[in-house]
Amino acid sequence: MTHVSIKELTKVYPGAEAPALDRLSLEIPTGELTALLGPSGCGKTTTMKMIAGLLEPTSGDVMFDGRSVLRDKPENRGVVMVFQNYLLFPYMSVAENVGFGLKMRKIDPAEISRRVGEMLELVKLPHLGDRKPSALSGGQQQRVALARALIVQPNVLLLDEPLSNLDAHLRFEMRDLIRSLQQEMGITTIFVTHDQEEAVVLADRVALILDGQMKQYDRADVFYKRPVDEATARFFGGHNFIPGTSDGHSFECALGKLALPAGAVSGTGRLTFRPENVRIGSGQEQENLLTAQIADIIYLGTQTRLKLIVCDTEVEAVVNPNEIESYGVGDTLPVHLPRTTLWVI
Amino acid sequence: MATQESLGMRSFRVLTGAVLITWLILPLIPLAIWSFAKGWFYPDLLPRNWSMRAWEYAMSDTAGVLDSLWLTIWISLVATFLSILVGVPAGRALGMYKFRGKEIVELMILAPTIVPGIAVVLGIHSVFISMGLNNTVHGVILVHLIPTLPYMVLVMAGIFSNYDPAFEAQARSLGASPLKTFWYVTLPAIRPGIIVGGLFAFLVSWSQYILTLLIGGGRVETLPLLLFNFATSGRNDITGAIGMIYILPGIIILLLTAKHLSGRSGAVGGFGQI
Amino acid sequence: MSDRMKIFLLLLPAMFIIVVLFFGGLAIGAMRSFNYMPVIGLTQPNFDAYISVFTDREFYLSFALTFHIAFTSTVISSVLAIGAALLLRRSFIGRGLVNFLFQINLTVPHLVGAIGMLYLFSQSGSFARLAAEFNLIASPADFPALVFDPYAIGIILQYVWKEIPFIGVIVLANMQSIGEDYESVARSLGASKWQTFRYVLLPLIFPGVLSASVMVFAFTFGAYEIPAILGANFPAALPVLAYRKYTDVDLAARPEAIAMAIVIALLSAVMIYFYVRYSRRRIRG
Repeated sequence: MTHVSIKELTKVYPGAEAPALDRLSLEIPTGELTALLGPSGCGKTTTMKMIAGLLEPTSGDVMFDGRSVLRDKPENRGVVMVFQNYLLFPYMSVAENVGFGLKMRKIDPAEISRRVGEMLELVKLPHLGDRKPSALSGGQQQRVALARALIVQPNVLLLDEPLSNLDAHLRFEMRDLIRSLQQEMGITTIFVTHDQEEAVVLADRVALILDGQMKQYDRADVFYKRPVDEATARFFGGHNFIPGTSDGHSFECALGKLALPAGAVSGTGRLTFRPENVRIGSGQEQENLLTAQIADIIYLGTQTRLKLIVCDTEVEAVVNPNEIESYGVGDTLPVHLPRTTLWVI
Repeated sequence: MATQESLGMRSFRVLTGAVLITWLILPLIPLAIWSFAKGWFYPDLLPRNWSMRAWEYAMSDTAGVLDSLWLTIWISLVATFLSILVGVPAGRALGMYKFRGKEIVELMILAPTIVPGIAVVLGIHSVFISMGLNNTVHGVILVHLIPTLPYMVLVMAGIFSNYDPAFEAQARSLGASPLKTFWYVTLPAIRPGIIVGGLFAFLVSWSQYILTLLIGGGRVETLPLLLFNFATSGRNDITGAIGMIYILPGIIILLLTAKHLSGRSGAVGGFGQI
Repeated sequence: MSDRMKIFLLLLPAMFIIVVLFFGGLAIGAMRSFNYMPVIGLTQPNFDAYISVFTDREFYLSFALTFHIAFTSTVISSVLAIGAALLLRRSFIGRGLVNFLFQINLTVPHLVGAIGMLYLFSQSGSFARLAAEFNLIASPADFPALVFDPYAIGIILQYVWKEIPFIGVIVLANMQSIGEDYESVARSLGASKWQTFRYVLLPLIFPGVLSASVMVFAFTFGAYEIPAILGANFPAALPVLAYRKYTDVDLAARPEAIAMAIVIALLSAVMIYFYVRYSRRRIRG
């Protein structure tokens, strides 16, 4: 049970001009599951290694429950890091891998084997203790790596891209396993990923890091509904950014005057809405009803992406293929932008 | 783990590094000094008189050191050339194809890198006598192929295992003849391997002693044989000069190829034979 | 042309050379060691050569000495090479120079190293002179015998000098391709630095160390010129003894010499077995 505070954490590698991580500050409440999200090379793994004590920060501090841990050796921090490629020791059996941390603590072998058995049970691999890691599938290796980390009952668990090497169907299984173990044991957990879907699926809260700096730190859904800026919105698949002026209630722009949800800021800015929130209008809507001409139709199987021209402005929409079966390129149709799906940045 | 090390740890590294550096150059120092010494008697730490006598002797036309140098270069060059000629096709077969009995072929090619020369050369000697190859340069070159060829094959097998023959098919489909395809497509792709493997073959041949001694019967006097003779006859100054001449090509080759070398290449095993 | 034919033709020249020269040499040697040589009228194979080798005390002394040389050199070189590789893995002032000298040393033939050792460690060599300078010894005879000595210290020193870089370069490359992440995992699971080395790095580099050590052992067991320069007359290293017997004026000693060579070959066959077991990377690059 540890509250992790990261204060102005900075890392400049020798010889590098730009810092790999620039004054990152983050509070991770006890027992929460937080994602550090960002494109590769944005300093995520660097951050994790500094939390784990495997890398020395250039400046800044890492505190556990208010106490700086920078002087603690990695083996004494109570932090375990699980690497993206699992890194199971290839010359050890699965059971020896899982028991490694306990052996290093010179725990009685009988006790180790008992706890290894329990742990393998917990990650649902009870019969594989004698196998070599090379005989396991990727998903099984991942679970062994998780078991090996959890058996030492860390205060903080660090996961590097925990789902990225897994097939789609394994991802959800692993997600459920990680979430349930994490909640059961109440371990403060931080994982890094470059994949926004992975972050959203797994994390309580997401910290988006772009160019070595933190952009936004929020619950996952907020990134879709209320992004702080265009770069953040784009990282989460946002497409439509229309310049104009807001008075806090409505937005004046090329598309006309559109009603805004409560809490929108005033002043000049950009209106953003997600392509999947653009609706084909029934004509009955009271507000934010526009007429669009179809410039292009891209059929994607389960959805269809439309390029629309509204008042000489291009707008992207994603709709259910059935909804536009009767339309072709060049046709006009009514579109509706629901008030609650709009946001000004 | 790139955590910064304590000052003590860093000083320890520098200190052990210094010990290692000293140890690595130590045996070469007396050799170098001897080559410029005019008598260097116990208990003098350094010679009282210096002289170029040993070098003048080594460089003179009559002493035979230069003849021996050219002969050694010739033998190593031919052995290298033959190793390339024979080793490249074999490397291609081992690197690009899977076939039955491949393990056995690999083992047979590997064996000469581990079995010492003395174990095979005595048997070869009696055969070469009956073929008239003993005491000849040809015989010496042939017997040098035993240690040089395996490294050539190993290096080329490594190169060919990362080589995509589709490039050759592409060239053929664009109208290149087999010969042109080899010249313009295959050769440029495998050239780094040929260079590294060839240099190893050269150095391995360059350092052979017992094979040359037995097959050459003392008539084919390469540089190491000459060096050995001077070393055991107590002419330390000339030994020093020949020793310096003898290590020079290796150093030059190293300087030329440092970028091609890495411990991961199978060729590094060749250093075990030098 | 079928693939099989292609493979056959590609391998033919190399296999011809290796089979005829290497295996042919071994086979002819084996035949001669059994006194079987139909071309010169010897049609009755026998064990005479082996009997006289195995009843000769000198052979056992030579064998023991050679084994001692090879084993001691290999163990000391391997341990120090691992240390050197650990050193070279981190940057420090002088690392470039050590690296460079490592590679230079690899190209210097053993023979030159042996002569260098002779000039350093003989009783009138550089170290003896240094000892005299500091009045540690009164005459050359007071300096401990490090060359031509019964324990083959000079020979072992020479091998250690040459093989530290050889094993070191292989181990270093091994460490670099393994990377540091396994060690990071171990540290974060609670292993101390020593435990990380003992339980993680050492087992990971062990196959590489072993295959390099096997090569070193086989080489140091079968090398001729180094013990010929630095070794005592009696007992001599096995290859030196074999060469002496082979070039004896008494031609009857030749089969004995070849029998010794066959003993060396058999020992290297054991080495090859270990080598193949622990080195999978060799041919597949």
